[in-house]
Amino acid sequence: MDMTSAIIALAVALVMGIGTIGPALGQGNASAKALEGMARQPEVAGEIRTTLIIALAFMEALTIYALLIAFMLLMRM
Amino acid sequence: MEEAEVLFSIGGLEVTGHVTTMWAIMVVLVLIFFLATRKMEKVPGRFQCAAEYTVEGLLNYFSGIMGREQARRYFILLCTLFLFILFSNWSGILPLAGQFEGFKAPTSTLSVPVALALIAFFSTQYAGIREHGVVRYLKKFCSPIILMLPLNIIEELVRPLSLSLRLFGNIFGEEMVVVVLFSLVPYFVPSLMQMLGLLFGFIQAVVFTTLTAIYISSATAEAH
Repeated sequence: MDMTSAIIALAVALVMGIGTIGPALGQGNASAKALEGMARQPEVAGEIRTTLIIALAFMEALTIYALLIAFMLLMRM
Repeated sequence: MEEAEVLFSIGGLEVTGHVTTMWAIMVVLVLIFFLATRKMEKVPGRFQCAAEYTVEGLLNYFSGIMGREQARRYFILLCTLFLFILFSNWSGILPLAGQFEGFKAPTSTLSVPVALALIAFFSTQYAGIREHGVVRYLKKFCSPIILMLPLNIIEELVRPLSLSLRLFGNIFGEEMVVVVLFSLVPYFVPSLMQMLGLLFGFIQAVVFTTLTAIYISSATAEAH
Protein backbone atom coordinates (compact mmCIF):
# COMPACT_ATOMS: atom_id res chain seq x y z
CA MET A 1 0.00 0.00 0.00
CA ASP A 2 1.59 3.20 -1.12
CA MET A 3 1.40 6.57 0.59
CA THR A 4 -1.46 8.01 -1.53
CA SER A 5 -3.80 5.09 -0.83
CA ALA A 6 -2.99 5.28 2.85
CA ILE A 7 -3.85 8.99 2.96
CA ILE A 8 -7.09 8.41 1.01
CA ALA A 9 -8.10 5.59 3.36
CA LEU A 10 -7.50 7.88 6.32
CA ALA A 11 -9.47 10.67 4.65
CA VAL A 12 -12.43 8.36 4.00
CA ALA A 13 -12.49 7.25 7.61
CA LEU A 14 -12.31 10.85 8.80
CA VAL A 15 -15.01 12.01 6.39
CA MET A 16 -17.50 9.42 7.62
CA GLY A 17 -16.50 9.74 11.26
CA ILE A 18 -16.66 13.51 11.51
CA GLY A 19 -19.46 13.86 8.97
CA THR A 20 -21.89 11.82 11.05
CA ILE A 21 -21.37 13.69 14.34
CA GLY A 22 -23.37 16.81 13.48
CA PRO A 23 -26.40 15.14 11.85
CA ALA A 24 -26.51 12.54 14.63
CA LEU A 25 -26.69 15.23 17.31
CA GLY A 26 -29.30 17.14 15.31
CA GLN A 27 -31.45 14.07 14.68
CA GLY A 28 -31.26 13.04 18.33
CA ASN A 29 -32.31 16.51 19.40
CA ALA A 30 -35.19 16.67 16.93
CA SER A 31 -36.49 13.19 17.84
CA ALA A 32 -36.29 13.91 21.56
CA LYS A 33 -38.29 17.12 21.19
CA ALA A 34 -40.82 15.41 18.90
CA LEU A 35 -41.32 12.60 21.44
CA GLU A 36 -41.83 15.15 24.19
CA GLY A 37 -44.42 16.90 22.07
CA MET A 38 -46.19 13.61 21.27
CA ALA A 39 -46.28 12.61 24.94
CA ARG A 40 -47.72 15.97 25.91
CA GLN A 41 -50.28 16.11 23.11
CA PRO A 42 -51.02 12.62 21.75
CA GLU A 43 -53.83 13.97 19.56
CA VAL A 44 -51.38 15.68 17.16
CA ALA A 45 -48.93 12.74 17.15
CA GLY A 46 -49.58 11.99 13.47
CA GLU A 47 -48.82 15.51 12.34
CA ILE A 48 -45.67 15.69 14.45
CA ARG A 49 -44.51 12.38 13.01
CA THR A 50 -44.84 13.59 9.40
CA THR A 51 -42.97 16.81 10.11
CA LEU A 52 -40.34 14.91 12.08
CA ILE A 53 -39.66 12.50 9.22
CA ILE A 54 -39.21 15.37 6.76
CA ALA A 55 -36.88 17.17 9.17
CA LEU A 56 -34.91 13.97 9.73
CA ALA A 57 -34.58 13.51 5.96
CA PHE A 58 -33.06 17.00 5.72
CA MET A 59 -30.46 16.15 8.36
CA GLU A 60 -29.90 12.74 6.82
CA ALA A 61 -28.95 14.49 3.59
CA LEU A 62 -25.87 16.00 5.27
CA THR A 63 -24.58 12.56 6.20
CA ILE A 64 -25.38 11.39 2.69
CA TYR A 65 -23.20 14.16 1.24
CA ALA A 66 -20.34 12.88 3.41
CA LEU A 67 -21.06 9.33 2.22
CA LEU A 68 -20.94 10.45 -1.42
CA ILE A 69 -17.58 12.16 -0.89
CA ALA A 70 -16.34 9.02 0.84
CA PHE A 71 -17.36 6.86 -2.14
CA MET A 72 -15.76 9.30 -4.57
CA LEU A 73 -12.52 9.16 -2.59
CA LEU A 74 -12.66 5.35 -2.41
CA MET A 75 -12.95 5.14 -6.19
CA ARG A 76 -9.71 7.15 -6.56
CA MET A 77 -7.84 4.72 -4.34
CA MET B 1 -19.28 8.07 -10.35
CA GLU B 2 -18.53 5.18 -12.70
CA GLU B 3 -19.82 5.28 -16.25
CA ALA B 4 -22.90 3.19 -16.94
CA GLU B 5 -22.62 0.67 -19.75
CA VAL B 6 -24.32 1.73 -22.97
CA LEU B 7 -26.71 -0.92 -24.27
CA PHE B 8 -27.58 0.64 -27.64
CA SER B 9 -28.12 4.07 -29.07
CA ILE B 10 -31.06 5.68 -30.84
CA GLY B 11 -30.07 8.52 -33.17
CA GLY B 12 -26.96 9.39 -31.15
CA LEU B 13 -28.69 9.15 -27.76
CA GLU B 14 -27.08 6.47 -25.64
CA VAL B 15 -29.50 4.14 -23.87
CA THR B 16 -28.26 2.61 -20.61
CA GLY B 17 -29.77 0.05 -18.27
CA HIS B 18 -31.26 2.83 -16.17
CA VAL B 19 -33.22 4.12 -19.16
CA THR B 20 -34.68 0.74 -20.06
CA THR B 21 -35.77 0.27 -16.44
CA MET B 22 -37.40 3.70 -16.58
CA TRP B 23 -39.34 2.60 -19.66
CA ALA B 24 -40.45 -0.55 -17.83
CA ILE B 25 -41.61 1.52 -14.84
CA MET B 26 -43.54 3.86 -17.15
CA VAL B 27 -45.27 0.90 -18.81
CA VAL B 28 -46.12 -0.64 -15.42
CA LEU B 29 -47.54 2.63 -14.05
CA VAL B 30 -49.61 3.30 -17.16
CA LEU B 31 -50.88 -0.29 -17.22
CA ILE B 32 -51.84 -0.26 -13.52
CA PHE B 33 -53.81 2.95 -13.75
CA PHE B 34 -55.30 2.10 -17.15
CA LEU B 35 -56.59 -1.24 -15.89
CA ALA B 36 -57.79 0.28 -12.62
CA THR B 37 -59.87 2.98 -14.32
CA ARG B 38 -61.00 1.07 -17.43
CA LYS B 39 -64.41 0.13 -16.09
CA MET B 40 -65.24 2.81 -13.54
CA GLU B 41 -68.13 1.91 -11.28
CA LYS B 42 -70.11 3.67 -8.58
CA VAL B 43 -69.23 0.92 -6.13
CA PRO B 44 -65.51 0.36 -6.82
CA GLY B 45 -63.96 -3.06 -7.04
CA ARG B 46 -60.71 -3.90 -5.28
CA PHE B 47 -58.42 -2.64 -8.01
CA GLN B 48 -60.25 0.62 -8.59
CA CYS B 49 -60.50 1.11 -4.84
CA ALA B 50 -56.71 0.85 -4.44
CA ALA B 51 -56.11 3.39 -7.21
CA GLU B 52 -58.72 5.78 -5.81
CA TYR B 53 -57.24 5.42 -2.33
CA THR B 54 -53.76 6.30 -3.64
CA VAL B 55 -54.92 9.37 -5.55
CA GLU B 56 -57.25 10.53 -2.76
CA GLY B 57 -54.58 10.13 -0.09
CA LEU B 58 -51.98 12.02 -2.12
CA LEU B 59 -54.44 14.84 -2.87
CA ASN B 60 -55.30 15.19 0.82
CA TYR B 61 -51.61 15.20 1.73
CA PHE B 62 -50.74 17.95 -0.76
CA SER B 63 -53.84 19.93 0.25
CA GLY B 64 -52.44 20.04 3.77
CA ILE B 65 -49.25 21.65 2.43
CA MET B 66 -50.42 24.09 -0.24
CA GLY B 67 -54.19 24.37 0.07
CA ARG B 68 -56.91 22.52 -1.82
CA GLU B 69 -57.05 24.75 -4.90
CA GLN B 70 -53.27 24.84 -5.49
CA ALA B 71 -52.99 21.13 -4.78
CA ARG B 72 -55.60 20.35 -7.43
CA ARG B 73 -53.88 22.63 -9.96
CA TYR B 74 -50.42 21.06 -9.61
CA PHE B 75 -51.63 17.58 -8.65
CA ILE B 76 -50.74 15.97 -11.98
CA LEU B 77 -47.08 16.99 -11.66
CA LEU B 78 -46.73 16.13 -7.97
CA CYS B 79 -48.56 12.80 -8.17
CA THR B 80 -46.56 11.69 -11.21
CA LEU B 81 -43.28 12.67 -9.55
CA PHE B 82 -44.20 10.77 -6.38
CA LEU B 83 -45.31 7.56 -8.07
CA PHE B 84 -42.39 7.54 -10.48
CA ILE B 85 -39.78 8.12 -7.77
CA LEU B 86 -41.41 5.55 -5.50
CA PHE B 87 -41.41 2.86 -8.20
CA SER B 88 -37.85 3.78 -9.25
CA ASN B 89 -36.56 3.49 -5.68
CA TRP B 90 -38.31 0.20 -5.08
CA SER B 91 -37.23 -1.29 -8.41
CA GLY B 92 -33.72 -1.59 -6.95
CA ILE B 93 -35.03 -4.00 -4.30
CA LEU B 94 -36.48 -6.48 -6.81
CA PRO B 95 -34.50 -9.69 -7.24
CA LEU B 96 -31.92 -9.59 -10.07
CA ALA B 97 -31.85 -5.77 -10.09
CA GLY B 98 -28.35 -4.68 -11.05
CA GLN B 99 -27.42 -8.28 -11.83
CA PHE B 100 -27.72 -7.93 -15.59
CA GLU B 101 -27.57 -5.05 -18.04
CA GLY B 102 -30.84 -3.31 -18.68
CA PHE B 103 -32.27 -3.59 -15.18
CA LYS B 104 -30.99 -1.02 -12.70
CA ALA B 105 -32.80 1.30 -10.30
CA PRO B 106 -33.03 4.59 -12.26
CA THR B 107 -32.56 6.79 -9.19
CA SER B 108 -29.23 5.16 -8.35
CA THR B 109 -27.52 7.08 -11.15
CA LEU B 110 -27.03 10.83 -10.81
CA SER B 111 -28.59 11.88 -14.11
CA VAL B 112 -32.15 10.72 -13.34
CA PRO B 113 -32.52 12.63 -10.03
CA VAL B 114 -30.95 15.67 -11.72
CA ALA B 115 -33.52 15.49 -14.51
CA LEU B 116 -36.37 15.15 -11.98
CA ALA B 117 -35.02 18.07 -9.94
CA LEU B 118 -34.78 20.22 -13.09
CA ILE B 119 -38.42 19.42 -13.88
CA ALA B 120 -39.33 20.51 -10.34
CA PHE B 121 -37.20 23.67 -10.69
CA PHE B 122 -38.70 24.82 -13.99
CA SER B 123 -42.24 23.98 -12.84
CA THR B 124 -41.66 26.20 -9.81
CA GLN B 125 -40.55 29.11 -12.01
CA TYR B 126 -43.48 28.51 -14.35
CA ALA B 127 -45.95 28.43 -11.46
CA GLY B 128 -44.55 31.66 -10.02
CA ILE B 129 -44.63 33.49 -13.37
CA ARG B 130 -48.12 32.24 -14.15
CA GLU B 131 -49.39 33.44 -10.79
CA HIS B 132 -47.68 36.84 -10.64
CA GLY B 133 -46.57 37.72 -14.17
CA VAL B 134 -42.89 38.11 -15.10
CA VAL B 135 -42.20 41.53 -13.58
CA ARG B 136 -43.88 40.91 -10.25
CA TYR B 137 -42.28 37.48 -9.97
CA LEU B 138 -38.80 38.91 -10.59
CA LYS B 139 -39.53 41.67 -8.09
CA LYS B 140 -39.99 39.01 -5.41
CA PHE B 141 -36.29 38.24 -5.68
CA CYS B 142 -35.49 41.83 -4.67
CA SER B 143 -37.61 41.66 -1.52
CA PRO B 144 -37.27 42.86 1.18
CA ILE B 145 -34.34 44.96 -0.10
CA ILE B 146 -32.34 44.89 -3.34
CA LEU B 147 -29.23 43.71 -1.45
CA MET B 148 -30.89 40.32 -0.96
CA LEU B 149 -30.95 39.65 -4.73
CA PRO B 150 -27.78 37.50 -4.95
CA LEU B 151 -28.77 35.52 -1.86
CA ASN B 152 -32.26 34.87 -3.22
CA ILE B 153 -30.86 33.73 -6.57
CA ILE B 154 -28.36 31.40 -4.90
CA GLU B 155 -31.13 29.99 -2.71
CA GLU B 156 -33.23 29.32 -5.81
CA LEU B 157 -30.36 27.61 -7.66
CA VAL B 158 -29.24 25.46 -4.73
CA ARG B 159 -32.68 23.85 -4.46
CA PRO B 160 -32.45 21.50 -7.48
CA LEU B 161 -28.87 20.62 -6.48
CA SER B 162 -29.83 19.55 -2.97
CA LEU B 163 -33.00 17.82 -4.22
CA SER B 164 -31.11 15.68 -6.71
CA LEU B 165 -28.12 14.93 -4.48
CA ARG B 166 -30.38 13.89 -1.58
CA LEU B 167 -32.36 11.44 -3.69
CA PHE B 168 -29.31 10.03 -5.48
CA GLY B 169 -27.19 9.81 -2.33
CA ASN B 170 -29.83 7.97 -0.34
CA ILE B 171 -30.60 5.35 -2.96
CA PHE B 172 -27.00 4.89 -4.13
CA GLY B 173 -25.70 4.84 -0.55
CA GLU B 174 -28.28 2.29 0.51
CA GLU B 175 -27.35 0.03 -2.42
CA MET B 176 -23.63 0.31 -1.67
CA VAL B 177 -24.23 -0.52 2.02
CA VAL B 178 -26.16 -3.64 0.94
CA VAL B 179 -23.25 -4.64 -1.34
CA VAL B 180 -20.70 -4.19 1.47
CA LEU B 181 -22.88 -6.08 3.96
CA PHE B 182 -23.36 -8.86 1.39
CA SER B 183 -19.60 -9.30 1.07
CA LEU B 184 -19.27 -9.46 4.88
CA VAL B 185 -22.30 -11.64 5.79
CA PRO B 186 -23.99 -13.28 2.78
CA TYR B 187 -27.12 -14.43 4.66
CA PHE B 188 -30.03 -12.60 6.33
CA VAL B 189 -28.19 -9.40 7.31
CA PRO B 190 -28.37 -7.71 3.86
CA SER B 191 -32.12 -8.39 3.67
CA LEU B 192 -32.63 -6.46 6.91
CA MET B 193 -30.87 -3.51 5.30
CA GLN B 194 -33.05 -3.95 2.22
CA MET B 195 -36.17 -3.77 4.39
CA LEU B 196 -34.84 -0.48 5.71
CA GLY B 197 -34.26 0.43 2.07
CA LEU B 198 -37.99 0.02 1.38
CA LEU B 199 -38.68 2.59 4.09
CA PHE B 200 -35.93 4.93 2.81
CA GLY B 201 -37.25 4.71 -0.74
CA PHE B 202 -40.74 5.68 0.40
CA ILE B 203 -39.50 8.52 2.62
CA GLN B 204 -37.27 9.92 -0.13
CA ALA B 205 -40.20 9.93 -2.58
CA VAL B 206 -42.33 11.73 0.03
CA VAL B 207 -39.57 14.23 0.80
CA PHE B 208 -38.88 15.02 -2.87
CA THR B 209 -42.54 15.70 -3.69
CA THR B 210 -43.19 17.53 -0.41
CA LEU B 211 -40.30 19.89 -1.09
CA THR B 212 -41.49 20.46 -4.65
CA ALA B 213 -44.95 21.30 -3.29
CA ILE B 214 -43.46 23.69 -0.72
CA TYR B 215 -41.31 25.40 -3.38
CA ILE B 216 -44.31 25.81 -5.70
CA SER B 217 -46.52 27.19 -2.95
CA SER B 218 -43.79 29.63 -1.85
CA ALA B 219 -43.27 30.79 -5.46
CA THR B 220 -47.00 31.41 -5.90
CA ALA B 221 -47.49 33.02 -2.46
CA GLU B 222 -48.15 36.74 -2.20
CA ALA B 223 -45.07 38.87 -1.59
CA HIS B 224 -44.92 40.18 1.94
